[in-house]
Amino acid sequence: MTQASRITQPVHVPGPSGPWDEVREAMARCGSAVVFTTWGEWLSAVVTEPRLRLLLGRDWPRYRRTADPLVRHRFAAARLVLKYTAAAALGTDAGELDLAYKIGGRPHLRGIRQVDVGLSHTGELIVVGVSRSGRIGVDAEPLTRTLTYDVMRERMCTPAERAALTGLDGPARTAALLRLWTLKEAYTKALGQGLRLDFTEFGFPPGAEGEFAAGNEAGLLAPDGSPAAPGTWSFGTYPTMARYLVAVARYDTGPAAAPGATERPVADERSMSLVAQLLPRQMCTAGPHQPRSGTA
Amino acid sequence: MTLTPDIAAPPWAADRRHALSPRHTATDGRAAALRRAARLDALLEDPYDPGSEHGFAAFLAADRERRPVLSAERLLAEAGLAAEFVPARHGGGLTRADLLMKVLRPVFRRDVALGFAGGVTSLFAASAVWAAGTDAQQRAVARLLLGGGRTTVVHPGLAPAGGVRREEVTARRTADDTGMLVSGGKDVIIDAARADVYVVHARTAETGPRTHSVLLLDRAQLPGASLERLPRVATEGMRGAVFSGLRFTRCPVPDEALVGRPGDGAQLALRMNQVNRCLVAGAATAALDPVLRAAVHTATDGRPGPPARRWHRPLAGVFTDLLVCDALATVCLRAVGLLPDRAHAPTVAATYTVPALLTDALEELSGVLGTQGGGGDLLHGILAKLVRDLPAAGLGRDGAAACQAVIVPQLGALAQQSWLMEEEPPAELFRGRADLPPLDHGALAFAGGGDFLAAALTGAAERLGCSRRVGGRSALLADLAEAFLAELRLLREQCALLPEQFGEAMSGPAACALSDRYGLLAAAAAVLAVWEGQEGDDPFLADPGWVVLALSRLGRRLGLALPDVPGDCATGVLDELLRRHREGRGLDLDAVELTL
Repeated sequence: MTQASRITQPVHVPGPSGPWDEVREAMARCGSAVVFTTWGEWLSAVVTEPRLRLLLGRDWPRYRRTADPLVRHRFAAARLVLKYTAAAALGTDAGELDLAYKIGGRPHLRGIRQVDVGLSHTGELIVVGVSRSGRIGVDAEPLTRTLTYDVMRERMCTPAERAALTGLDGPARTAALLRLWTLKEAYTKALGQGLRLDFTEFGFPPGAEGEFAAGNEAGLLAPDGSPAAPGTWSFGTYPTMARYLVAVARYDTGPAAAPGATERPVADERSMSLVAQLLPRQMCTAGPHQPRSGTA
Repeated sequence: MTLTPDIAAPPWAADRRHALSPRHTATDGRAAALRRAARLDALLEDPYDPGSEHGFAAFLAADRERRPVLSAERLLAEAGLAAEFVPARHGGGLTRADLLMKVLRPVFRRDVALGFAGGVTSLFAASAVWAAGTDAQQRAVARLLLGGGRTTVVHPGLAPAGGVRREEVTARRTADDTGMLVSGGKDVIIDAARADVYVVHARTAETGPRTHSVLLLDRAQLPGASLERLPRVATEGMRGAVFSGLRFTRCPVPDEALVGRPGDGAQLALRMNQVNRCLVAGAATAALDPVLRAAVHTATDGRPGPPARRWHRPLAGVFTDLLVCDALATVCLRAVGLLPDRAHAPTVAATYTVPALLTDALEELSGVLGTQGGGGDLLHGILAKLVRDLPAAGLGRDGAAACQAVIVPQLGALAQQSWLMEEEPPAELFRGRADLPPLDHGALAFAGGGDFLAAALTGAAERLGCSRRVGGRSALLADLAEAFLAELRLLREQCALLPEQFGEAMSGPAACALSDRYGLLAAAAAVLAVWEGQEGDDPFLADPGWVVLALSRLGRRLGLALPDVPGDCATGVLDELLRRHREGRGLDLDAVELTL
């Protein structure tokens, strides 16, 4: 492989106390990290976390009104995993972060533009992705999930993928189909589209586990199997806990010239400090600005 | 073209200027601006015509080949667009920022880079001169622009987080104290290679908040050896725009080059950015027109009937969000004229919130448009180009970070001194047809401490609360407004805890999240205010349907628990979108006929 790795093997983190070294190391090395765990491992954090309400933020009412305890705890655990992972990646405290959702449901950290996040859960597994270069999507499926070949072949495969599947049978075909499905889910989740995109309009080359090898024919493909967006997306699939398949889709065009900026600023501290110094004195000392008449 | 007084504008420039000048049309500023916009739109011709020199296909080809569309630039120049950026007192047609946005829309609808090359770049530079320049400086820059010349800004820009600015221009006193020597430079400056005059933010002091001063430098007057023009830089977005570098080496500059007082640089940039950057955000809303139009076409398969049910929500939703963007940008650009001393905070909020909504809209529409063709066809090409262009135009992450740095330090004072207390602004601010005083760049304040939008939200929620008993949509609207008012109360509590002094709490993620929520609240306030300001001539905008949908979507982004939107609200908005698509009308508050 000639290019540097852009996706790392998912890292197991059994609780809020970490270990987070591998996440920090993955962020430093390739700008993204993927964490997996089970909600059971994080259950004690959910039930003992004194700041649970703060950490769930605007997700708190939904957590409270979810009647099924399993669903409720998994919901909370997934959000804790996401916040703690993002906090480790950003070098901040999980309580500082506000998890919000786009109209289509894609999660993001409110006001934080230097990292994107992705979240998936299936069964007992929770997977979280964090990336500094743009969108990241993760998806997880049980390895035992069997997709009906005849139906899925038509509904989700490009002509090129159908041709590749035709040469397979039995478990190999089942595994290839699940791999494609999981990749397509991860990619559309990264785009914020959920299941709205037509899965037959984009495809992936056949391949093995891990990050796709470098090369134009190794990434996102058009229905006829030609490269669709060379050099913009990285993909990988990873068997996890011997029971699940995790797929990661990450947008990354590499370094590019942008007017006025060479790096992603966080909050630009120097500018903010300058603005704070320039604030008119009366802003801090004067009374109310043009008080409303007759109202409290 | 130089700043030398004896070089007059070419005669055609004056003639065309008159053709566009508001003085030669009705007294109604809005109607006149819309007529000038319609004229530009017609001159630029049908953008869908594949043979047009300034159609979408031509702009995509130019973007691919990284070259400006000179024929379109020429056409805009001949149409006298430059006059729109020059205040009326200096012979131009610039009177109001909200009207300038309307005039720029036909340009931005076709290509964001054309908007910059066609005059916005010059305005960014010239506005500091309009605000703080001497009369001679103002007249010289006016003459330059009206004569077809260009000017650009050389600004140090943002420092990478916590880092040191690597690119900077410094101005030191000469040994005999008769002037300055300018050294240093910058690699990525839009139109540096084509500008005749540079507005340079140069470091003139070592420490403190007043380290930078603004210098007006006429290229023709600088000794050739002291200024090196660096090669063009390929950028990820606005590929057709010409970015390149400038390097000054002990370049002698007289004291008369100073714009404003020494040390005024940061203040001037902050004061002018509130108009200029908000203007770009508002004008760029028009760039989504072809994308939403394409999505409607795709979703309806080109047939006149309604689209498949699954597309109702994204189509009606994005159309609503474009109206939200227009409402927010319009009221802020009106406020810089009417309330120049206290428009700053809401205007900065508009500057990061409008692009965030536009970016979300592109995400939502890309689902409707699908991935077919992998970006090879015209419509996907427009979409992909816009995704690249918005960040390059300062409407992406870096632009948002710059706004955050400006807004967060103000939130504490706004919470303590304005929110829920400030008196509502005059009603004509929100009545789109009401005339306003002309924009006075010199009167624009930085951090004036007011928030007319929060005040408007408070007033609107009170009024709607009184009409709740009517039931139906009025009650629903009252509930929505109350939910946003409650959010303002909560935000006030949280922002009041922010420190006055810069520190970790101010630059941390929690404070950034507060600024995001503030921007969404400002958008909701603008929507309510624009709706209340309707005077009955547009039944669609006067109906609460779009407001309910708009507030519901803003509320979802805020994570507020809100009542469901009745189906007929979304249907009404969708019907309007289909009607405008069919009739070739704009997808903004003005709904004017477009050249399609």
